[in-house]
Amino acid sequence: MRLRVRDLTHLLAAVVWSAGGAPARGETPAPEPGIAPSAQSSTPAEPPAAEEAEPPPQRIEPRRLTLGFEASGAFSSRDVGFFDYTDHEQTVLRLARASVTASLRLGSRAALLGEVRAAGGEGVRASALYLRVRPWPERPVDIQAGRIPPTFGAFARRSYASDNPLIGYPLGYQYLTTLRPDAVPASADDLLGIRGRGWLSSFPVGSFEPAHGLPLVAATRWDTGAQVRVGSEPASLTAAVTTGSLSNPRVRDDNDGKQVALRGEVRPAVGWVFGVSAAQGAFLERQVLAAMPVGLRDTGSRQRALGADAEYSRGYWLLRGEGIWSEWRLPGLPPVSAVAVYAEARRTLLPGFHAAARVDRLAFSRLSGRLFGGRPTTWDAPVTRIEAGGGYRLARHVSVKAIYQYNWRDTLRFRTLAVVAGQVSIWY
Amino acid sequence: MAAIAARSSPLGAAGLVLAAALPAGALAVAPAVQEPRSGTGALRGRVEIRRDLGPVARRPAIADVGMPGPRDQPDRRRAVVYLETAPRGAFEDREGGRAILDQRNETFVPHVLAITAGTVVDFRNNDRTYHNVFSLSKAKRFDLGRYAAGQSKSVRFDRAGVVRVFCDIHSHMNAFILVFAHRFFAITGPEGEYRIDGIPPGTYTVAVWHPVLTGEAQAVRIPEGGDTELDFAIQ
Repeated sequence: MRLRVRDLTHLLAAVVWSAGGAPARGETPAPEPGIAPSAQSSTPAEPPAAEEAEPPPQRIEPRRLTLGFEASGAFSSRDVGFFDYTDHEQTVLRLARASVTASLRLGSRAALLGEVRAAGGEGVRASALYLRVRPWPERPVDIQAGRIPPTFGAFARRSYASDNPLIGYPLGYQYLTTLRPDAVPASADDLLGIRGRGWLSSFPVGSFEPAHGLPLVAATRWDTGAQVRVGSEPASLTAAVTTGSLSNPRVRDDNDGKQVALRGEVRPAVGWVFGVSAAQGAFLERQVLAAMPVGLRDTGSRQRALGADAEYSRGYWLLRGEGIWSEWRLPGLPPVSAVAVYAEARRTLLPGFHAAARVDRLAFSRLSGRLFGGRPTTWDAPVTRIEAGGGYRLARHVSVKAIYQYNWRDTLRFRTLAVVAGQVSIWY
Repeated sequence: MAAIAARSSPLGAAGLVLAAALPAGALAVAPAVQEPRSGTGALRGRVEIRRDLGPVARRPAIADVGMPGPRDQPDRRRAVVYLETAPRGAFEDREGGRAILDQRNETFVPHVLAITAGTVVDFRNNDRTYHNVFSLSKAKRFDLGRYAAGQSKSVRFDRAGVVRVFCDIHSHMNAFILVFAHRFFAITGPEGEYRIDGIPPGTYTVAVWHPVLTGEAQAVRIPEGGDTELDFAIQ
């Protein structure tokens, strides 16, 4: 064990050194820009400035306070099957959202970052607020504490309208399963009986009020805690300890359990990004556990997840793919799990105009009860989704998008949904 | 009066929207001027910047896990001085040549490039990462796609106007290319100095352009031979 710890220490040190201490790639002297010699000789009266060598780049201290802004409005045909609803009980295809981001520099080693967001009818809330510190300026080690960006996966950090080539979210980051943090099934049949009803599920233990379930990973809410990233390019490791879970990020702890999340990212060559993620944390509220028989309280209530993602871009193409496996341990039941996989592509067709498509699948593990003739059946209804569309930039920071989305779900009611949606977004 | 105007957009001072093309006045032939000939004069002077430009703000990287890497600041002191009315025959001299707009440390260098119509601009990537140069300007719409360090892609600019250039990946990167239909323009030096040679004698209106600042255009008479001084103040 001692050897393993030492090896890990050496590995971390190597990552830090290679990313920060070694000479950066591509630092060869560049040719001077401006008017090329051929142009100078072709015109008898070139401007004097064009004939001079460019001055060295300016190293001006960045502003102390910088602000950003994004507003988007999406509209769509009706989602009667609740396929695109989020944990905010509203659909991402019919959502007006505005956010202001701010970064306040506190010296050269620290910054306070925050985001205030208004989405749908929820009012204004602080969706992010954290302190970012780089203790050693020459070493790429960053510490962030507060309501922090997600560590797990890739999509949750680029769910903003300006970063999403389509309008909808991948199923793994949005689709509501029937699982809830404040209520649990007492038997397998309690789960099997409400397959495909994650937008309004209810269980006999815990809260009796019907409420929406949880996605595998919540993309619209950030968790609270601390994270450390070591390295940047070509490799980085990030570790985080937070109060909530992937499905249910929280500001205040509600179960005395912490989540640990890890992510490793490698950029072996320009255009390639590979990432692997893992997370484990408690996700049930303590009131639910308190309502359980004493013998079942200790059987655990954790969510455990693994993820892998890849990105490749070149020329006019951007390709992305991601897979997530998540398992929930519920008191008195065998573990239930789900797998979400998507692949998406974006291609620029003309200046300002792009086309994009995503293929998405969400599958669930099987469970046996008395329902369905006792046959092993998926504990929630598997969903397949395709989404295709395009976007057009009216200006640098203003874009419009339109998509067509089709969903299949393995249930008797609301099996399919075809939806058309549009979105206008502006950001700065 | 100024042929190319910059004005603030509803998004704030940094969200500039530029007039998409040089107005007709900038391309017009001055009625009083003579044909270009050997006895020409020069215009020189200085452009004084009377406002603190400060650093370019970058959109907060709220979703990043860690400090953003160091990047250069664009040289925002450069302005372009040009003849708003050019001598007759100036537009027939359309030999463009080549120019370079480099990309280093997530910055376009130079921040302002002035060229004649017909010039081919090489967009070099001397950075460590991908860049995706594009423009939505009326004078030239293009998208070069993503290309890696050490590579270069070219665009020919045939139409006079202001072309605002961006990077699709790095939202804080931007540059300006001023495409002139004539060659009577100059980019200011580090101290604001400029010089335009080979101007046929005559009376001209001279304007100054800057990405965010504005200044008054001025009338000047260029005699045959010798230098004429003309200073500007922009704010």
